[in-house]
Amino acid sequence: MSDWRRLFGLLTGQRRLLLAGIALATLVILANVALMGLSGWFITSMALAGLGRVAIDFFAPAAGIRGLAIVRSVGRYLERLVTHDATLRVLATLRVDFYTRLIPLAPARLQPFRTADLLSRMRADIDTLDNFYLRVLVPVAAAALSLVAIECFVAGFSPVVALVSLLGLLGAGVVLPLLAFSLGRATGHARLAALATLRTTAADSVRGLGELWVYRASAAAASRIAAQSARLIGAQRADAIRDAVADAIAGLLTHLTVWATLIVAIPLVSAQAISGPVLAMLVFLVIASFEAVAPLPAAFRALAETRAAARRVFEIIDAEPAVAEPVTPVAVPSRFDVTWQGVTMHYDTSPAPALDGLDLSVPAGQALALVGPSGAGKTSLINTLLRFWPIEAGRVMIGGVAVDAMSGTALRGLTMVVAQRTHLFNASVAANLRLAHPTADEATLWSALSGVGLAERVAALSHGLATPLGENGARLSGGERRRLAIARAILADAPILILDEPTEGLDAETEADVLAYLATLMAGRTTILVSHRPAALRLVDEIALIEAGRVVERVPRAAAARGNARFWRYLRLL
Amino acid sequence: MSNNTSKTVTRTRERWLKARLDGRRGVLRAAVAAGLLDAPLILLQAWLLADVISSVVIDGQGLDALAYPLAGLLGVFGARAVVGALRSVLSFELAARAKQELRRDLFAHLIALGPAWARAARSGQAAHLVADAIESMDRYYRDYLPQVALAAALPLIMLVVIFPSDWVSGVILCVTAPIVPFFMVLIGKGTEALNQRQWRRLARMSGHFFDAIEGLTTLRLFGAAQREIAVVADMSARYRRDTLAILRLAFVSSLILEFVVTLSIAMVAVYIGFRLYYGEMSFLPGLFVLLVAPEFYRPLRDMGSQYHARMEALGAAEGLVAMLDETTPAATAIGSAAPSGPAAHLRFDRVGFQHADARTPLFEDVSFELTPGRTLAVVGPSGAGKTTLAYLLLGFLAPSRGGITVDGRDLAMIADAGWFDQIAWVPQTPTLFDGTIADNIRLGCPTADASALHEAARRARADGFIKALPHGYDTPVADRGEGLSGGQIQRIALARAFLSDARLVVLDEPTASLDPDSETRLGDALADLARDRMVLVIAHRLDTVRRADEILVLAEGGIVERGTHKALMRADGRYARLWSLYRADEAGP
Repeated sequence: MSDWRRLFGLLTGQRRLLLAGIALATLVILANVALMGLSGWFITSMALAGLGRVAIDFFAPAAGIRGLAIVRSVGRYLERLVTHDATLRVLATLRVDFYTRLIPLAPARLQPFRTADLLSRMRADIDTLDNFYLRVLVPVAAAALSLVAIECFVAGFSPVVALVSLLGLLGAGVVLPLLAFSLGRATGHARLAALATLRTTAADSVRGLGELWVYRASAAAASRIAAQSARLIGAQRADAIRDAVADAIAGLLTHLTVWATLIVAIPLVSAQAISGPVLAMLVFLVIASFEAVAPLPAAFRALAETRAAARRVFEIIDAEPAVAEPVTPVAVPSRFDVTWQGVTMHYDTSPAPALDGLDLSVPAGQALALVGPSGAGKTSLINTLLRFWPIEAGRVMIGGVAVDAMSGTALRGLTMVVAQRTHLFNASVAANLRLAHPTADEATLWSALSGVGLAERVAALSHGLATPLGENGARLSGGERRRLAIARAILADAPILILDEPTEGLDAETEADVLAYLATLMAGRTTILVSHRPAALRLVDEIALIEAGRVVERVPRAAAARGNARFWRYLRLL
Repeated sequence: MSNNTSKTVTRTRERWLKARLDGRRGVLRAAVAAGLLDAPLILLQAWLLADVISSVVIDGQGLDALAYPLAGLLGVFGARAVVGALRSVLSFELAARAKQELRRDLFAHLIALGPAWARAARSGQAAHLVADAIESMDRYYRDYLPQVALAAALPLIMLVVIFPSDWVSGVILCVTAPIVPFFMVLIGKGTEALNQRQWRRLARMSGHFFDAIEGLTTLRLFGAAQREIAVVADMSARYRRDTLAILRLAFVSSLILEFVVTLSIAMVAVYIGFRLYYGEMSFLPGLFVLLVAPEFYRPLRDMGSQYHARMEALGAAEGLVAMLDETTPAATAIGSAAPSGPAAHLRFDRVGFQHADARTPLFEDVSFELTPGRTLAVVGPSGAGKTTLAYLLLGFLAPSRGGITVDGRDLAMIADAGWFDQIAWVPQTPTLFDGTIADNIRLGCPTADASALHEAARRARADGFIKALPHGYDTPVADRGEGLSGGQIQRIALARAFLSDARLVVLDEPTASLDPDSETRLGDALADLARDRMVLVIAHRLDTVRRADEILVLAEGGIVERGTHKALMRADGRYARLWSLYRADEAGP
């Protein structure tokens, strides 16, 4: 229930628009019911008048019929416009809130999520929530209001008819859809699970197509796909049959209500408690009043999906950042030596600690390389320095100041990071560079580019600095992307340099160029380098070997280079 | 794209969608027939209802005299419920069969496209097509197609009955009815273009959001996240305004539509009223026509609401047709000859390969021989064609020049199945399929018994960690082997190779540094595997190249050097230079 209340709560600011929408929706239903009732009454009265049994002033009702037709059409237009406007405003605000809450979650809290999943929450799931406002909230409110008005009117002629039709309407519009909704929950899960399995199997089959060929397992994969598709369709069949039956019963209930109205009202005509035209009017009114509840089954059907979408959105909005900002941040230090003291940290995915009481210090202006197997804790060390991940024990300090005492922005302002997976945005070269330095002029950008040997390449692009890079820098080669990322890091110009596999995947020549530039950059800066490339290791003062979250050995570079087997096993040829 | 060609494209795609129904027309006809059956029932219901009211109002009869028509109404209600449910279920079956078959065809096509294609393909796109794109066809087959037939037929059936009852109303309905589909088409056309523009905008917005989420850590590193919020807010606001603009147009169009329909019904009511007043018709047919009039427009209006089902299906068909149009490679095996016993000699004779869209060959003149017990290591910079070389050997690709022979016979003449019997392949990142660890090791030999399975795992040095898993060999592989390390996945793939008892093993070493345990065990297992087999390994680590009987250095379009580690080091060429980069002490500071 609280999910719905929260969705309702998001309306702040748009409440007035939405109330107007509900009023208009009610007006539309009432206009239609009145139109049909009046038509029934009108032609019956005209028939009786034609037979000379009653007298009638036909101009007013005839004009009323036309007028109601106009009110209905125009009202419907206005209602849609108002409710959609209000809903879209709510969703746009929610989207920005979502993103704002997402920022402090990166990267620690977002680790279990894939980007595509987060995107679909931010876009598709939030879009799905319009169902709540447009297809649940407004129709339910309008149906409730108009039913009260209709039944009050009908009760004026016959309370019994009012009661009978109210029961029918509630049955078809509320009881039945709710029943179908609760029955549909289980198959809804089965359906989603079957679809997800189908996706995984298809993706794995394409990824492992070579293995399927070599091990002659293609036929087995095909029958697996067929079986999973059949399971999905089986789950859908259960839904389809249930919906078909529910729809049939709803239709039957509508008709039976009309029938019951006849049974109750005909004796009233015989007893002259109501007139013939009123009987026709009541029958038409009852038929038309079902339009008020017609949208409800579809709304209830989509309810499970809407709630699931809401939960996916709220899950992110409610998530606590992994590391809280200090309430009163201290000033940044003036020395830039880096120290880890007994630091222990875990990732949620693994019971073994990523850092296990690790001690390490890098004197100001010195360069230290970290080597070790993947998963040993090299990147974790950097993550704790940047305060992206919380630590359970120990302290991480820069110049004697604990990193969690500084504001996150100030702390990260002290570092220049070239990470293996630094992201390039699908924007221009200049925009990507200015991320690090928003006010940098073109000359500054060019000098950063020439530093990494990219100036000529960028100048040759169709629009120079203004050339869009494409998805994750697709315009550039792997080496060029890395160099651009380095140029961007350079523009940040900070006293601590963090290089996480800066030349991984570059060919030997490019590597040599990039390393030469990095060497000039390292002068005077405290540097932490993670790399398994011998050429890169040549730049540092010391090398530390990390295994299982601890520093197992730390030696001057020259010593490590002279055939220390423990270091050698991690170095890579290509 | 010009308006004309886009129209042709739409038409071809729609024809393609309909062609999926060949052989299933019977189900479609049954679904439409169930829908058509509703027409006489609607008419009968309206007539009985009008009869009851007319008898009471005009003839002054009471309930007791109306038992028959009232009982008849109950019968009609029941029949309509049954017919309606039947139609829904039949329509569902129509879509179900179309989807199941489409999936089968599409997947068969993906398999046929082969590993060489899969190397460049995005598995996510395949997953989207197989699962989601085919699901988007659902409403088209289920709702739209049957509704098209009904929208044409149902109003006609009703007109046939309305005309004799009251020709004036018949004329009003007749004249206004075409306005409905006319506006539908107009709305469709108008919003189609706008929708397409909106879809592009949406795609752009999604792309930007994707970027903004994917790069969140980078944004935080540079303190640029707050600036990005403003961009997201701006895009959201623009998206909202654009969406509303499109909706406004759609609403105006449906306003006109509703207006025509509602006003026509009102006109029918007023006309009938006046004709009754002047005694030009009797009450029963008048009331009947008024009851039928809304039903007359209903199928036309329903079709309008199915229009987006069509648009969605057409959109999804685009990706499917494009994928199905990708030509499958000519079968690498033109012959069907079985290999003559276990392969004992493999020979590359001046093999060259050039991609179809490349101007220069990837490499040329690659020759080597391989016999059981020998290990050949290939090293070289990325992009030199190491994987392509392996693919040629596996038979995934055919050489552009030169020949590959197995025991003197051309590889192209040997049937794929016979060749694959002889080989095992361990890619750089092996794929673990849905199933248990045992299922995955048994991939090539589904009938292997437990002792063979355990032996293979033991030899792959995988037995230890598998036994330590909660359910041992029966542990299900969760989400692409999550919880297993890269080295462990490699050893499971090696167990596959041991179990299949292949003559030739092709191994692509992982580039990432493995945990020390995996590192050593992988090396041991590989040495074991190489003992009496032919092994081609794309090497990334020291141990492997040192142990290899021959090393090929593949670079710049061919083999630049070859020999053993020692010989190559002595030669002081390219290989030795690679090594010098490696040896930090040589250059020194």
